[in-house]
Formats: sequence, structure tokens, C-alpha cells
Amino acid sequence: MTARLRNLAPGVALGLLLIDVAGMVVLSVARPQFLSTYNLFVTGRDLSILLLVALAQMIVLSLGQMNLSIGSIGGLVAIIDSGLMVRYGLPVPVALTAGFVLGIVCGVVNGLLVYWTKINSFVLTLGTSYVFAGINLGITHATPFYHIPNEISAFGQARLGPFPIMAAVTIVLALLLAFFLSQVVLGRQLLAVGGNALAARLSGLPIRRATLTAHAISGFLAAMAGTMLMAQLGQGQPTIGATWVLPSFAGPIIGGAALAGGSAPILGTVLAMVLISLIDDGLVLVSADPFWVQFLIGALILGAVVLGRARLSDIRTLLRISASSTHQAGSRQ
Amino acid sequence: MSAEPKPLTPEVRLEVAGIRKQFPGVVALDDVSLRLRAGEIHALLGENGAGKSTLIKVLTGVYQPDDGEIRLDGSPVRFASPRSALAAGISVVHQERNLIPQFTVAENILLERIPTRGFQLVDHRAVNRLARPWIEMVGLDAAPTTPVAELSVAQMQLVEIAKALSLQARILLMDEPTAAITPHEVGYLFRILGDLRRHNVALVFVSHKLEEVFELCDRVTVLRDGRNAATDVDVAKLDRDQLVTYMIGRAEVIAELPPKPPPREPVLEVAGLTGSRGDAALSFVLHKGEVLGLYGLVGAGRSSLAKTLVGEIRAMGGEVRVRGAVTHIKSFREAVEKYSFGYVSEDRKQEGLILLHSVRANTSITIWRRLRSFGQWITRSKEEAAILPTIRQLDVKTQSLGQSVGTLSGGNQQKVSIAKWLAGKAEILIIDEPTVGIDIKTKNALHELIWDLAANGKSILLISSDMPEVIRLSDRILVMRNHAIVGELPNTHQYDEMSEAIMARLS
Repeated sequence: MTARLRNLAPGVALGLLLIDVAGMVVLSVARPQFLSTYNLFVTGRDLSILLLVALAQMIVLSLGQMNLSIGSIGGLVAIIDSGLMVRYGLPVPVALTAGFVLGIVCGVVNGLLVYWTKINSFVLTLGTSYVFAGINLGITHATPFYHIPNEISAFGQARLGPFPIMAAVTIVLALLLAFFLSQVVLGRQLLAVGGNALAARLSGLPIRRATLTAHAISGFLAAMAGTMLMAQLGQGQPTIGATWVLPSFAGPIIGGAALAGGSAPILGTVLAMVLISLIDDGLVLVSADPFWVQFLIGALILGAVVLGRARLSDIRTLLRISASSTHQAGSRQ
Repeated sequence: MSAEPKPLTPEVRLEVAGIRKQFPGVVALDDVSLRLRAGEIHALLGENGAGKSTLIKVLTGVYQPDDGEIRLDGSPVRFASPRSALAAGISVVHQERNLIPQFTVAENILLERIPTRGFQLVDHRAVNRLARPWIEMVGLDAAPTTPVAELSVAQMQLVEIAKALSLQARILLMDEPTAAITPHEVGYLFRILGDLRRHNVALVFVSHKLEEVFELCDRVTVLRDGRNAATDVDVAKLDRDQLVTYMIGRAEVIAELPPKPPPREPVLEVAGLTGSRGDAALSFVLHKGEVLGLYGLVGAGRSSLAKTLVGEIRAMGGEVRVRGAVTHIKSFREAVEKYSFGYVSEDRKQEGLILLHSVRANTSITIWRRLRSFGQWITRSKEEAAILPTIRQLDVKTQSLGQSVGTLSGGNQQKVSIAKWLAGKAEILIIDEPTVGIDIKTKNALHELIWDLAANGKSILLISSDMPEVIRLSDRILVMRNHAIVGELPNTHQYDEMSEAIMARLS
């Protein structure tokens, strides 16, 4: 029975996987265009970018905090990247590296503010999101940087059959993140701090390092997502990231993340983002009103949060059962 | 509430019989009875974990009893919620304050029935007018319009009593009302409680301080390990020793602990240590292979001493030597990494464990740094190999290392919170109230474990308010009261002799 408890997050993942597969089957039967190479490529490309956005939120949620500035970091990085290349003619690797460093710095700023002030990360990152977005607007006056180098926009269009090449970046980063959180000391410490910060400190763990790391990773993933969207659009759009708040939370929450921290369901987040892109895609394919997509995703998040609550009370019930009658609990397994 | 004459034979107002309340792994209350008359102050005593708080929660509708009966004025009642208990005239003043600091005194008193004018507008004048008599009744020297945040703790307590009275409370439960207030304020509080007794209110008074019981209370009920150790006894017919015996009982027949090599060289030398929480300068020495008991009642300053030692509370002065070297420990991490301290908190759920995480993660948390290889990563097999011996040594009952700690029983959770320090190779273990809320059998296992650790050369500072525990396990006993060490006693392990000696230091 306790095995059931332990596998709650995989349970969520399994459920999502079934829904995802069913969704794909339904879509491919009902609308054969779904399986067209071009549709798969476009869907996969959006998914690659939004998944990074969701992981950027998940890593901070696993610490028991939030990052509302993911979109504005992504946007700022995209326009700094494109500005450096277009306006100052810097070589691509230099500009991209500068962009990633900037993303990490933005994340570290978030982390330091949260650590020093102990103010709720919601309020702080809401503030920094306006700061980052403001720098973006101040530089661009809302005008995109056009004509970014060809190799960048080519990367945005590159594909292998139906598979977007940029998906490889996302897959590698997701795997690295999973490895980091399960096998690397700092990753384990980060989850422990998210699970119970007081107990973690009273076990001698470095709280500040864990906090800064989570936010830095979040900033880096946001920067990568911004860079990839810039490549896809073929220009440094100042509006990049403006709509990322919803998907950033939707992925981890539907994927089974505990809002109080301590869990990092990467597989669940991936499958949740697949589900969201299926819904998105399905609605487009049946030419539904695109404005209702947001309604559906909103309803999904609410459903996931309520379910998450139910899971918690499940745990409490299970605890009670396990204590009072072990044989009964055993037969439930 | 006018001054009614006190009836000659006080009526029984509340009768509780055969109450049972069970939690995962623990029977908190087992066949508990309580009889409460109008116009009496009834002491409810017991050690930590004896079941007092649970009983109060049952009486106020927070918990529903699994079995047993509550009769109010002779007729059986069931309280489905705190609200229905309040409606029946039972109020409680908790240890923690339950006021809204930003609101005024009057608003807090009338919180859920704020008078309004038309359009649901708050009628501030009526609020203050209606609250005033209650404020005067408890003798609170503050205007109704004072924000509660500006009051002292004792004054806040009076606001809560005023609130209870304004709700027509005929039964008032006071959970350790004197724990956080000065002796002068205690004197004042006792006068107020005396007034209420004359007004025929039935009062339950929970305290750890026996002097207060003798000074204030009429009758006493004592709980021990979730059962009645004494029921409705006249305080006038008791003396202190009898009451102590009720509270702590005799140690049941427990196996003799095997002989242990005598303590060796000093490991931890503390001279004149002052914490930032008003401790007197504290001095003591802990030796290798020694269990040093630190006995004192709740609030004596034991836990803050422990937290000062490990750098959680900043020390204001004094010297701490570890293995002869002077230390200036500034953070808990430093205490752990540089001086191999381990700290088993009294609050294992909040401060000791990450309940959602696995037994494996909770145990190995102290050694991740040591386990990592070149590339910084740790493998599960290495991790498990490192903690398995400890898990086996402590006999942690778990289905697998992957089971989440929150699903273990209290005793096994406690073993995990000790196991992580053993895995972490801690040499100086500070163990704070290791057996609170843990059943007798596991308690014994934990005792043997602590004894074993000392026999194998660990140095242990055992903080406990459980007298039999301290007398059973300690080589020497420090007695703490009011943030000062008031005695250092060599332990003969003779219960009667030692308990008398300890109580002598406390009074």
C-alpha cells in the first residue's frame, strides 16, 4: 500500500500518458491532417519551446517558490541576442552565450532577492518580471530586431522528417535536469530544501546555494526558450514570452508537482505539456474558436489542482488506515 | 453576568467518561474521564504527550472521540465542530494566541458578531460599547480601540478570556496560560480566574507548574500515557510528592541496561555560555561515551541551550570547546561539518524530517556531500550501501528504503531522524525529547539505542522532561530552571532518590 503512496507521481504520469495516447489516436482518426509532416513539425516545435518554459517553472516550484518572470526573461534574452547580432554584428556564439549568461543572471537576481528579503517569491518575481520586460521595451521601443543571422533562423526551421531539430535541445535539457535532480548532490539538496526548508537547514544543507541554483536554472531555461522562439520567428520580437505565465504553471501542476515544494515531476510535466499541445492542436484542426483554448487550459489547471488536493487527503486517509488495521491495508494492495 | 450566590453543592456541569481517541500508531486517549463542577478550578495535569491537548481538543469539538461520552448538564452531547462546542458554552484559551493582531481589542472580542448599521456597515461605536463591559470584567487596562498588536502577551490572554466570557462561556479551558507571562502577571491572572470561579464558571487549568496548582485549583485530574492516573481528586488532600507520582508514575518493570564503559575524556566543554534568549551563563562538560541528561520542565530553556550550541541561536557570550579547541560556531552547517555535531530536534515533523521524501533521502541527507564522486553525482547503490548498516542497526521498520517517511510510525520516524546523524558520523549528539508521543515499547528500544551509542563512544546530551527517562539513561543529570542550570547530580539510577533530588532543585 505504501508502494502506492510512493508511486503517486508516476501514477499521475501514467494517467497523463494514457490520455495523451488516446488524444493522439482520436486526433489522427478524426483529422488525418494531424499526422501530416508539417503539422507534426509545427506542433513539436511549439511543444519544444513551451516545455522548457514549463520546466523553468517546475524547478522553482520544486523549491516551494514561483517564478513569474520566466516570460520576461525569455523576451529580454531574445532581444539582447538579436540586438547584439543585428545592431552590433557580434558573432552568433558570442551573442548566444551572452544571452544565456543574462538569463542566469536574471535568475540569480530573483534567487538573491527571495533569499535576502524572505519576501514571497510571487511578489518579488512579479516585480522583476516588470523590470526585465521594462528593459526590453526601453531598448526596443517595441520594435523587433529583424534580419537575424541565417544560421539562427535556419535552426528554427530545421527538421528531420516531422521532427524539429530544436526538440533535441529540449530533450537533452530535460534529461540533464532529471539526472541533476536525482543523482547530483546539489539537485538532491534543492529538493530537500523544497520538501522542508527547516529540516534541510537543520541537517546542515546550504539553503542559499539551493535557492540560487533553482532560480539560476529557471533563468537559463527561460533564456533557452526565448532564444528558440527567436529562431523560430526569425526575428527578435519584444513580445516573446508575453504569454508564458499560464503554460509555465499548467505543465508542472497538471504534471503532479506539489505546490508546497519537494517534488519535481519531469515526466509528468512533459506529458502534461504534450496534452496541452494536443488540445491546442485539436482545437485548431477542428477549427474551433482559438479563444476557447485558454478556457480549456484554465479549466484543466483547476481540475489538476483540485485533484492534487484530493491526492493529499488520500494520503492522510491511507496513513490512518495503515496505522489502524495493517491486514486490511495489506489486502487493499 | 451578575454575582449569583455560589450554590452549596456545586452541580456537575461537564462529565466525560470512557473517552478514547486514536491516531495513526498512537492511542492518544484511552478510557479517559473528567468531571467538572460549576464554580471550581480543575487542574488537568500530565507530562508532554500524556494526552491533555487531545482531551481539550475533544472537549472543544476539534476532534471527535472514537468512543466514550460527554455529558453537559446531565445530557449527552456531541460536538461536530469547534463552533458547536462554543455554542454550548465551552470556550478555550489556547497556549498560542488566537487573535487578529491588526484588529482592535473590541473587534477581536466581537469578531464573529460585529454589530452593523444599514448596508452591512460596521457600527464602530456599537462595537466599542458592547465590548467594554467584558474588557472591564477581566480588568484589562486598555481602550477597546487599541490594536491587539500593541498589547503584551498577558493582556492578549485577557482579551481572549474576555472574548470567551462574551460568548457566554460557562466552561473555560485554559491551556498553559502561565507559560509565557511574568510572575506578576500570573498573580493578576489568578485573581481574575478566582473572580470567575465566584461567578460559577467551571474552569479547567492546564499547567506544568505544580505550585500553581496548589495555589489556585480545587480539584485535579492527572493523565499519564493517555489514561487517567488520578481522577477528580481534591487538591487539599494531596501533597506534592503524590501529585508527582501521579504525573510521572513508576517506571514499569524495564530490562536492566547492560553495563557501559565509564565516560572518557571531555569532548564538549561549555563555559559561561549565554544565548540571546535570556539564558544565564551556562557551564558544563560532556565526555566521550557519556549520556548527560538535561532535565527541566517545558520553558526551562533546554531547547534554546541546544540550539545555541549548534549555532541556530547566536551565542552572546561564553566559550565552547570541542575536543579541546575553542570554537566560534556561527551556523548549523559549521557545527555539523566542522565539529561533527548532530541534532535530533524535539519537533521531528517540522524540523527533523522531510515527510514526503523517502527513508533513503531522509537518512542520507547528511552524507550526500561525502558520497559524490568526481562528476559530483551520487549513485543510488552507493547511497544505499552507506545507510543500510545504520537502518539495520536501528531496526527501522520500513517496507523499503523508498517508502516515504511520513507513512512510518512515530517511533520509526524518530529512528530515522537519529539514523541520519549516525550515517553522518556525528560524534556529539544532542537529542531533544526523543520519546515524546512514542509508545512504551518503542520508547524502550530508543532508550537502548541511546545507551548503545554512548557505549560505543558517542557523546550524548539528552534533553528530556521525562524524569524516568533521564534517570534511566544519564550518567550525570543537569537540572535546568528559568534558563539556568540549578543543579548537577551524579546519577545513582535509583529512581526515588534521584527524583527527590531533582525535584528539590526545581522547587
